[in-house]
Amino acid sequence: MIPTTSTSGTQRRRAGWVLGSPLLLFALLFVAYPVYQGIQTGFFGLTLQDPTVPFVGLANYAKLFASSGFLDASRFTLGFAAVVTVLETVLGLGLALLVNRAFPGKKLLFTLLLLPIMIAPALLGVMFRLLLNGDIGLVPGLLHGLGLDISLFAPDRVVPLLVLLDVLQWTPFTFLVIYAGMQSFPTEVLEAAAIDGAGRWRTLVSIVVPLLMPVISAAVFLRLIDAIRTFDVIYVLTAGGPGTMTTTLSIYVYKAAFESGNFGLAAAASTIVMVVLLPFVPLLVRRVARTAEDQA
Amino acid sequence: MIRRHRLWGTTIAVALVALLINVPWLNALFVSLRSDADISTGPITISGVTGSHYANALGAAGYDFPRFFLNSLLIALGTVALVLFIAVPSIYATVRLGFGGRWIMSTASGLRLLPAIFFAVPYFLLMANLGLLDTVPALVVANTFLNLPLAVILLGAGFRDVPVEVEEAAQVDGASPYRILVAVVMPMLAPTLVAVAVLVFIFSWNDYLFALVLASSRATPITLGAANFVTSTGIRWGDISAATVLSTLPPALFAVFAQRYLVNGLSAGAVKG
Repeated sequence: MIPTTSTSGTQRRRAGWVLGSPLLLFALLFVAYPVYQGIQTGFFGLTLQDPTVPFVGLANYAKLFASSGFLDASRFTLGFAAVVTVLETVLGLGLALLVNRAFPGKKLLFTLLLLPIMIAPALLGVMFRLLLNGDIGLVPGLLHGLGLDISLFAPDRVVPLLVLLDVLQWTPFTFLVIYAGMQSFPTEVLEAAAIDGAGRWRTLVSIVVPLLMPVISAAVFLRLIDAIRTFDVIYVLTAGGPGTMTTTLSIYVYKAAFESGNFGLAAAASTIVMVVLLPFVPLLVRRVARTAEDQA
Repeated sequence: MIRRHRLWGTTIAVALVALLINVPWLNALFVSLRSDADISTGPITISGVTGSHYANALGAAGYDFPRFFLNSLLIALGTVALVLFIAVPSIYATVRLGFGGRWIMSTASGLRLLPAIFFAVPYFLLMANLGLLDTVPALVVANTFLNLPLAVILLGAGFRDVPVEVEEAAQVDGASPYRILVAVVMPMLAPTLVAVAVLVFIFSWNDYLFALVLASSRATPITLGAANFVTSTGIRWGDISAATVLSTLPPALFAVFAQRYLVNGLSAGAVKG
């Protein structure tokens, strides 16, 4: 404890309020007020075409659950998020086990593995378009060379394609989280999993995975909440199409607000998403608190 | 000998994975260095290396890319400045001067969980009311909002690490809390401040959603500009590749230098999908 006389105690308290005021001001203006306005807008018929703002009660919510658009988007988002999270966690774990030993060029390769995380998802979307373009893309070109002339964005291929791209983009993230967590475990045990020969798979399943469970679940949790919010890459690549097939909840809300101009409906939809995610907040808060203590 | 072979085996395996996940970027680089004729002939045709697409992207062809780059730079630097201006004094006050309390840290980490899209409509309405639509300040504010939780979490841990005895000594010497923060604590916290600045720069440079909602022409950053370009024209592949490759460089360079901060920063949570 800092020894304080009563004058310096008053001075310190005052200094606390002075120094804290920027955050307080920002939080009121740009966090609390938008949250309030977001929830409130959901109860009004606010549209770009009709700025007279009639109060409509729960009509926006009723409309959401009556139309197939919102429910389809919820289903697609949850399914997509679950599938990519599982794939990326398994692959990230495999990659972390592979990298978790000394080998030539490790430092450079580690940096290269992390590069995709640093690229703006929207720009990655642009790069995917280049790669997959039917006229000039490398992938259709290679497929053509193999005698396969297929449209990658056809309805029956677009979802697996988006899953594959998401795996390419985010496996480095799950790898990073798991690899970082591994560094606090005894190396001998983890190395045992890498030793060739009998029982390797058994060691992995019965010793390594249970040992790493806290780290793995952290990766799953972080990746899942980000996957549920997916917007950039899919919007740039398919804009939610063909039709509404690949419309995530974020794309649904964006389109409802800024293409259909129905702010009330969009606000109601995003309020539902927020309420669904709210129970997970304490989980995250505990996790972050633990991380902060680990660093201290 | 057998052991050496296995080590190189690991190198080769990891290198293949690294190559695979960086194919989109490498492909963009490859396209950007070829002539339009080569690009339209086939995906791997190359008769020479050209820098003309980079010249075009940087202004020769009359595109808006130089302005997009400038906007991205202004938005990212403005966000770094505003985040530090808000978070450094406030979190110091929280950790050491009894301002607020644990709930500030809890709220900050809770905000990490809420989908950014929830704030799209309210921020659009708010900025419209303030007359700030399509301006750099609007995007600075929005990105500050997105990145504050990360800064709060990292700075909270950083301030707790500074030994209280150092501050006590300064206080006994008669230094005010403000002076202690600026002259004693902040220099000790320099590595954390750099880490926060670098991560906030990267994430605000990479923002797309709020740019799409709040910017329409004058304030358009490179992420939005590049994405719009590819959907509207869709044929100037060489130029778009050059612009895309260029715009990935600032975050990538920062990432290489600040790699050791990435782990904490990313798991504390500022990755936006």
